[in-house]
Amino acid sequence: MSNRLDDITATLRVVASDGALRAGRGLSGLVGQDISIHVPSVRIGTNVDACDAVGGVDVLVLGAYLSMTGDITGHIMLIFPQGRALECVDLMCGQPLGTSVEVDELAASAVGELGNIVGSAFINALADRLGLILHPSPPAVVNDMAIALVESVYAAILAQGGDVVMIDTVFSDQRGETAGLLIVAPDPAALDRLRELAA
Amino acid sequence: MNSPASASLTKTSVGIGQLVVSKDPAELLVAYGLGSCVGLAVFDPGPGVGGLVHVLLPESPNGKQGGTEPGRHADTAVDHLLERLAAIGAVRHRLIVKLAGGASVLGPANATRFKIGERNAEAITARLKAHGLRPHATALGGTVGRTLELHLGSGKTYVRTATSQASEL
Repeated sequence: MSNRLDDITATLRVVASDGALRAGRGLSGLVGQDISIHVPSVRIGTNVDACDAVGGVDVLVLGAYLSMTGDITGHIMLIFPQGRALECVDLMCGQPLGTSVEVDELAASAVGELGNIVGSAFINALADRLGLILHPSPPAVVNDMAIALVESVYAAILAQGGDVVMIDTVFSDQRGETAGLLIVAPDPAALDRLRELAA
Repeated sequence: MNSPASASLTKTSVGIGQLVVSKDPAELLVAYGLGSCVGLAVFDPGPGVGGLVHVLLPESPNGKQGGTEPGRHADTAVDHLLERLAAIGAVRHRLIVKLAGGASVLGPANATRFKIGERNAEAITARLKAHGLRPHATALGGTVGRTLELHLGSGKTYVRTATSQASEL
């Protein structure tokens, strides 16, 4: 199965980099300071690796999930350790870091918007690259154990007989890199289209 | 918070698709963060043996082969768990069966489209029924992930969520 994915990794990396650039611009515009996003790896998703990136399987994470619909389908999920997500909320609201201490309605709304900006940027990059019409769903705010969320994305792909591709995404601001993780998991049909493009 | 007395026990993590059986009373089997996955814990209080399997999907893609990870799919996981337990002394009529997981943690749109959690629970329950078994207790569905523990020493099972303490199932 890995050979099948190797064929399209280069193409997917281009899409991911473009998406990261767009997301960084959108996010910087929203919060009023430079936040850059880069994509260190495009790889076959292992659920445990994905959880480790946010602190371990049992860690409480906060984020947003979007499904991609239209000509092809897939899944986008942005997750942070809860404490880090609340710092992002402070950043977005222009308040001192540490102000947000619980996942209240404002925090959930802000994280949903963050996921919306970042997820939509990736979906738009994919649409432009492939010449397709794609739509992001409204973001669903997720707040749970990391493994419960990651395995559910993993299951949705494998249920269709496909391989899981995950794109790790690192967010950087003036204070350094965050531990956020963006999981982009195209459905099997989307991978087939990517392979056609790469050929 | 962890379940009572778990600190003194040997904790074995049962990851996605894994199946573990044990007769060690000092062992605790745990499936972390069951989202749409379902954890099936089975215990025979006679010899004090039990097992836990962490099921990802309802059906095997290529028929009931099971492959290298028979615990991954419900249609093979139940059979393999019962066979492995029988091999270490479990007797079917004594088995205590518990199920947890099968939630929809990714929001309503995803839940409506895939229904994986619901289908996992149904597939496991159907396979148990084929063996003449039914769950004694369940913590299924809903929108939150669960961690399921099976304590081999007592046969007790515990469920906790990201925000709730462990409670006996």
